[in-house]
Amino acid sequence: MLAACSFFIIACLLGASPSSKVHLKKFRNSRYQLIVNGRPYIVRGVCYNPVPIGLNHEYDWWSDPNKPWLVDGKLMKEMGINTIRIYQAGENPEAVKNVIRDLYSLYGIRTIMGSWLGFWEFPCPFYGDKAFQDKVKKEVLGMVNLYKDEPGILMWILGNENNYSCFGRVNPWTSDEVEKEPDPQKKNALRAKIYYSFVNELAKEIHKADPNHPVALGNGELLGLDYANQVSPDIDLVACIIYRGKTFGNIFNSLRNTFDRPILMAEFGADAYDAYLKKEDQNVQAYFLESQWRQIYENLAQTKEGVANCIGGTMFEWSDEWWKHEEANPDSWKTHDTASNWSNGSYYFDIKAEGNKNMNEEWFGIVALSEELENGINKRTPRKAYYVIREFWKKPTLIKPKVKSQK
Amino acid sequence: MKDKKLKFLILNCSFVFCVLGFALTCFAQDGKKLEELKGQYFKEAKFTEFVNYLKGVAEKDKSLEAEANYYIALARYHQLKYLEEKQSWDEYFNEGNTYRDEMTAGAQKAIDETKANDALNVKAHLVLWQFHHDQQDVFAQDALSNLMNSTLEYAKATKDLETIKEVADKLSSYGEKGKSRQLYKIYAQELLSSETKDGELKRIADAFYKEENTELAETIYDAYIERIAKEDKEKLMPVLIGIAKSFAYKDEGPNDPPYAEKIFNKIEELGGKESFDEALIYLRAFNLEKSKEYAKAKDSYLELIKRYPDSDQANEANFKLGIIFTYILRDAKSGKAYFQELAQKKAASAYVISGLYQLGLLSQWAQDSGAAQAHYNELIEMAKSDFPDKVAQARERLKEIQDSKLIEYNLKTFLDASLKEEYTALDSAKSNLRSHPYIAKKDAQVQITSGIQSAQSGCMQVEVQFLWSGDLGENAPGPNQPAFKTTYKSPGTKMVNLVVVSPTGIIDRNIDLLDVR
Repeated sequence: MLAACSFFIIACLLGASPSSKVHLKKFRNSRYQLIVNGRPYIVRGVCYNPVPIGLNHEYDWWSDPNKPWLVDGKLMKEMGINTIRIYQAGENPEAVKNVIRDLYSLYGIRTIMGSWLGFWEFPCPFYGDKAFQDKVKKEVLGMVNLYKDEPGILMWILGNENNYSCFGRVNPWTSDEVEKEPDPQKKNALRAKIYYSFVNELAKEIHKADPNHPVALGNGELLGLDYANQVSPDIDLVACIIYRGKTFGNIFNSLRNTFDRPILMAEFGADAYDAYLKKEDQNVQAYFLESQWRQIYENLAQTKEGVANCIGGTMFEWSDEWWKHEEANPDSWKTHDTASNWSNGSYYFDIKAEGNKNMNEEWFGIVALSEELENGINKRTPRKAYYVIREFWKKPTLIKPKVKSQK
Repeated sequence: MKDKKLKFLILNCSFVFCVLGFALTCFAQDGKKLEELKGQYFKEAKFTEFVNYLKGVAEKDKSLEAEANYYIALARYHQLKYLEEKQSWDEYFNEGNTYRDEMTAGAQKAIDETKANDALNVKAHLVLWQFHHDQQDVFAQDALSNLMNSTLEYAKATKDLETIKEVADKLSSYGEKGKSRQLYKIYAQELLSSETKDGELKRIADAFYKEENTELAETIYDAYIERIAKEDKEKLMPVLIGIAKSFAYKDEGPNDPPYAEKIFNKIEELGGKESFDEALIYLRAFNLEKSKEYAKAKDSYLELIKRYPDSDQANEANFKLGIIFTYILRDAKSGKAYFQELAQKKAASAYVISGLYQLGLLSQWAQDSGAAQAHYNELIEMAKSDFPDKVAQARERLKEIQDSKLIEYNLKTFLDASLKEEYTALDSAKSNLRSHPYIAKKDAQVQITSGIQSAQSGCMQVEVQFLWSGDLGENAPGPNQPAFKTTYKSPGTKMVNLVVVSPTGIIDRNIDLLDVR
């Protein structure tokens, strides 16, 4: 009886019944706000994948006896983070639940749970194939049913840049219907409609299973959302993966005009390594992140002057991942590689690096990892961005247009 | 006693008036000096000192408040840029919010305190727009629209062309070409409606051309052409020819090939094709070739060899026609005819040699080894010790035939992509290939660069390979090089070939032509 009462009191204190009620509220002029248990909620989040030095993405950190999320959660709370984004749940449901519960009960940090939607399966994700669809649907609904009653769950994100497979050269796939179409542009359109219809079907099923949490579409930029607008009425919001340098440009207005939904900046950020000068540069990372967060805040529903369709963001990412540069080489996982994997001119400080490759995948962490162990895990050292964003969140100073529109 | 008091009072009053007068004179000088002072403070990056001084000026003299506020905004705008450039991060993170606030507040106050006919109003709108544009925030669009409205209103109210030009120049430098053109037109119209004489108008346009402000020069030339066309049609033709020559492609100095072609069209409309002499036809063809308007360049080269078959440029025109027909228009049959025309010539020249090589190459690709060998051997025999690069290429091809090997991989891929029907979708629209300079000297460095317009792929970068072939000079760029530098040892038109390949297949193919003279 005492235990039950204690649980009830704790639950009340946390403002949550067994499961939080999360929904999106639409105001006039397509302004959107995320509401959690009746109160507005700004997502101040971070993408979380605490792979230790020397291991790679296959490592089951959820079951790590040293519980890295406890150290991370404390640091996150002190910074002001209220949400983490997980790309895909681990294999062991009890371990996953423990992480979600620990972060929420100890630090008030909620979890956005995602699914790759089979994007990285070999040979490629056949979104037009019924058997593949059924397999992914079973996995996604399994995830929802397992975790929907966790008070720490905030929302679901379906996919992560999977839309590029419809248009570009990333994980290309096809179907009989697509193959019959000779025009390459129409092929792209067909693939997009197949993919977004499938995601919509998933969203519809999730809503049936879990009416308490919104379903987001994890989209790379806004590419393809004109098709989503035609075939995805059950998607609640767009979780956008975007790397446009110091701000997001006109994305908020563009989204309103193509697929009128709230937007979560689900993956954005900057690395902390200058590929041109070949040295760590925490300042530039902090500079980009502060500017990006400022634009997020300028476009929240709470800010009158902006587009007001943004609900927050989950920046990329909490800690460095040393395995990323040479994924197939275990020796490289023990080295903090400084070689860059890709090029992006919007991060202009080091674009003059050789071959213009300036994006250092292993250096995106808000906290750096060191080989020194502390409580059994790699020691975390917050980078400058940690402090700059913490101060920004405490007192978000926005640029407001002083001049009224003369229209 | 009364007199003493009166004298004292008068003296006191005089002193007060003197001090007031002196102060007012100083403040008036402050106003005049602000622009000058700005230069000094900015040069030494003493932005905060300047802002503090301006705050004092605004407090002392209300009439200078608007001006002081504008300069505060300008100072903070430049200060933020300076801090970013110099990476003075401590000040940036500590004071950035204050500076941003003072920037927007200063500009807004300057706008509120001035009227539409005040240049300061326009300038305050300008710096505010620049700020939002640089921040890439959602307010940039509104700020731009406000800037345009205030400038247009200002243009109606005053004859101050310099401020309008200042805004247009800034818009142009930020890539807002539509908007800058709109303002440049107003600038040009004001010049036309004023007493400006024809010669003066042309002088102004020439001056902007020399300053490399081609956008404004073109607007004024257009107005000038319009005026001449109404007044003196006979005078128009030499004017048009002069302008077309100025704007036609050149490796250095101001030029705008699409504008030159617009003027070439006017010349043709006015006087027909006959109004083009040999040099002008060649110039038009070359200008179109450098604009990558190959189909139109082909028409001009055809016109050149039709009207001036003995032209010094006839061989070059024949060779380029062969290339354009074969590799751009995918009409190898017509292309070969031009190479054959060259091959029939007895005297060895860079174009005859290159024509023979192309005939050999096309025969080899079509698996007609006998014909290919004959062309390559003829080339080697004719070249003797000249044209070593082409001779080397011919020998390499001959060896492939003798060893029953396929054509070198990059070159064969390019030929397949350019000549096989299954690749007709590869129309060079997704890639860009440029050389600099286009008219190079022997042994001088040439920079060759490529660009790819690939579908978005976010942070999942697609690894592409660059398969270079053709006339690559003394360099042998690898598949990971999107650009390279090279030199050429012999004269003639050099054809650089590129095929861009991703893991899922060929993205595009492209060619570039440059002339070594």
